[in-house]
Amino acid sequence: MLLQVLINGIIAGSVYSLVASGFSLIYSTNKFVHFAHGAVIAFSSYILFLLFSILGINFWISSLLTITFTSFLGYFINYFIYKPLRKKKASASILLIASLALLIIIESLIIIFFGADVKTLNLIKVSEGIQIMGAIITPLQIIIIFVSVILFIFLMYFMKSTKLGKAMRAVADNKDVAEIVGISSENIYSWSFIIGSGIAGIGAILIALEQNIEPVMGTSLMIKGFTASVIGGIGSVPGAVLGSYIIGLVENIGIMFLPSGYKDAIAFVILFIFLFFKPNGILGVKKGLQK
Amino acid sequence: MLNIEKISKNFQGVKAVDNCSIKIEKGKITALIGPNGSGKTTIINLISGVIKPDYGKIIFENNNLSGLSIEKIANLGISRLFQQSRLFDNLSIKDNLLIAVNNNSSLIDNILGLNKIAKEIDAKIKTVYDMMEIKESWDKLVSELSYGQKRLVEIAQTILLPHKLLLLDEPVAGVTSLLRKRIAKILLELKQKGETILFIEHDMSFTLDIADDIIVMDAGKIIARGKPENVIKDKKVLEAYLG
Amino acid sequence: MIDAYFIHLLILICIYVILAISLQLSLGFTGLLNLAHVAFFAIGAYATALLALSGYPFWLCILFAGVLAALFGYVLSIPTNKLKGDYLALATLGFSFVIYAIVLNWISLTNGPMGLPGIPRPTFLGINFSNNNNFFMLSIFVTVIIYFVIYSITKSPLGKVMEAIRDDELAARSLGKNTKKIKSISMATSAFFAGIAGSLFAYYITFIDPTSFSFSNLIPILSIVIIGGLASLPGTVFATIIIILLPEPLRFIGFPSSVIGPARQLIYAMLLLIILYYKPKGFYGKVNLE
Repeated sequence: MLLQVLINGIIAGSVYSLVASGFSLIYSTNKFVHFAHGAVIAFSSYILFLLFSILGINFWISSLLTITFTSFLGYFINYFIYKPLRKKKASASILLIASLALLIIIESLIIIFFGADVKTLNLIKVSEGIQIMGAIITPLQIIIIFVSVILFIFLMYFMKSTKLGKAMRAVADNKDVAEIVGISSENIYSWSFIIGSGIAGIGAILIALEQNIEPVMGTSLMIKGFTASVIGGIGSVPGAVLGSYIIGLVENIGIMFLPSGYKDAIAFVILFIFLFFKPNGILGVKKGLQK
Repeated sequence: MLNIEKISKNFQGVKAVDNCSIKIEKGKITALIGPNGSGKTTIINLISGVIKPDYGKIIFENNNLSGLSIEKIANLGISRLFQQSRLFDNLSIKDNLLIAVNNNSSLIDNILGLNKIAKEIDAKIKTVYDMMEIKESWDKLVSELSYGQKRLVEIAQTILLPHKLLLLDEPVAGVTSLLRKRIAKILLELKQKGETILFIEHDMSFTLDIADDIIVMDAGKIIARGKPENVIKDKKVLEAYLG
Repeated sequence: MIDAYFIHLLILICIYVILAISLQLSLGFTGLLNLAHVAFFAIGAYATALLALSGYPFWLCILFAGVLAALFGYVLSIPTNKLKGDYLALATLGFSFVIYAIVLNWISLTNGPMGLPGIPRPTFLGINFSNNNNFFMLSIFVTVIIYFVIYSITKSPLGKVMEAIRDDELAARSLGKNTKKIKSISMATSAFFAGIAGSLFAYYITFIDPTSFSFSNLIPILSIVIIGGLASLPGTVFATIIIILLPEPLRFIGFPSSVIGPARQLIYAMLLLIILYYKPKGFYGKVNLE
């Protein structure tokens, strides 16, 4: 029984880490909360649904298109919304509110075009889970864990060893100094959205397969993603991944005692506790408190 | 009046303030000078509660200030001026000054209009406003003032807050020589009335004009103190400034 | 027909005016990025619904709604006291999600997604408010009182200190102000009136369910506050009228009702974006967001 909870926690954590790592990459670089990230994921899931379930395009091609589309969406959001606001010296708070408005816009568009009901992808028939020591895990779930780990390794390699990754860390660390050294922060912002949203796209595909999709799924994912980032240390991508697994585990332990509808609430209670006691998170990098 | 005992503060390994002890006497104007980064503003921050000391303690009129909040320390009678302008930009001069004087935060009183600005308080604000010779109408928004006028408003705030000790961090930095003279005059007048002032400054002529005592800091330590005429002759002081 | 519909819009305007000016108190005047407002609206609505359905009198229901919401507002202000800008925003947002989750899932209390129907219109001082015209009079009366209370707070020295906290909290503390306490007062008062708005809402619609209290319902309120201008009470009233009346033409274009809902949200959100870009001070505001 406990092993099942553990496994469920790791599966959930893997899903959240796909959301949180992209979000954290964007946050650490841009220094504001891009809350619409969740809606970007939701929208991508629907695009996959459109391409695969409605238009009947081959799954792999649909997936590739979805990831590409998601990256573009992230890029465009930055280009058309955040960049102009930044030019007007918008504060992080204004950008946050703008991202909330964007979240609603995207969710509303989903409802208008696809309807508010829940959709399923029907790629994988309800498959038999594999039994491991009394706990059940499906092949898809194994893939999810696998993909999130691989992605994490790639992301770490990217941040540490590639030119673009290092430039991103430079901008995240100190934008002004980075600019003096010749790094264009606007350029880096664009890339952070492309890559961060791309990761989200991969997440969107896996989430769409594993869970049903509905218009408001983005908000729920975003709560988890943000909380994971705060727990792990805002500004730290590995921290966000760590935080995701913590949330996944605590949630699944929590619903042993509470009705499952309270899952989202659990994440926020964790958020509160951390904001109150340890706002820099576990691997904390930046401060978020008033003087 | 104010007794700083062996106070130390580290910032990420750097000793900003290193085992300093200072006694401030009532009714005197004391200047705290020293090169940039010597720890002067840190001392003021430690006194006013903006930061907490790592070691040592600060006693103000028999009150141990360690661990007290900024507002508690202010209410004990320490009124502090910041080096950078910290006015309430979206409020008028009058409101900025009013905030310094009024301290009734009872919701009911304020809703029912019972927290009316008493005539004495109004008069007090007006007195200080006139004393500072602030040129602008007091309904003007503070964000629209020039730097010098802003500084006057800030000093007015500091004076209006009921206090026993004034802590001024670079009161005349960046102001015109006319304003500098006026502020010097005002501080001397306050001393005449028995007030105690501790200020930080880089402007030596201003400092020498009004200070009774000078304390010199360098690299977190106090390297000299005493009457102005003695301190400026002190070798260590000259070294600190000239390198 | 038009007359009755017009009254309906006016009642909604009253409720939203109360929501918006109460948010102004914490957001516009005190500078707290308080995104929990819908939660207090919900608390007031559900408290009133449950009490009214149990037969308690009007004055008790509406007062209790405000007080309960204020209590939650106060409780929320404690752990969030030290948080800045976007952290405060997300913590308060989180609070509103928690309340929504509770409203949706605590079925024995709130009846969950099915909601609470049949809330009786109040009868007070001999007047029966089942009649919408009467209810409108009640709404206007409550709105005007609340407007004047909030107005006198903002003009009072306490209101000035709230604005001081918004402009520079450290400086306010250095002038001896207990900013922690004042921020709590601001949050609690803001929540109190949101609770009252919730109460009126429950009494008016006579049926409440979780959909009115999800996070997206914050957007129109936030839009009103920003469009009208931070810290401008008259601007807020003006903006409320615009915001409530704006999507009305949609009804006449004949969209299916499943589209009207999200379409309204879409319009509000886009409006918010436009205002954030072109006129972040709003029409009458003098203050910028942070």
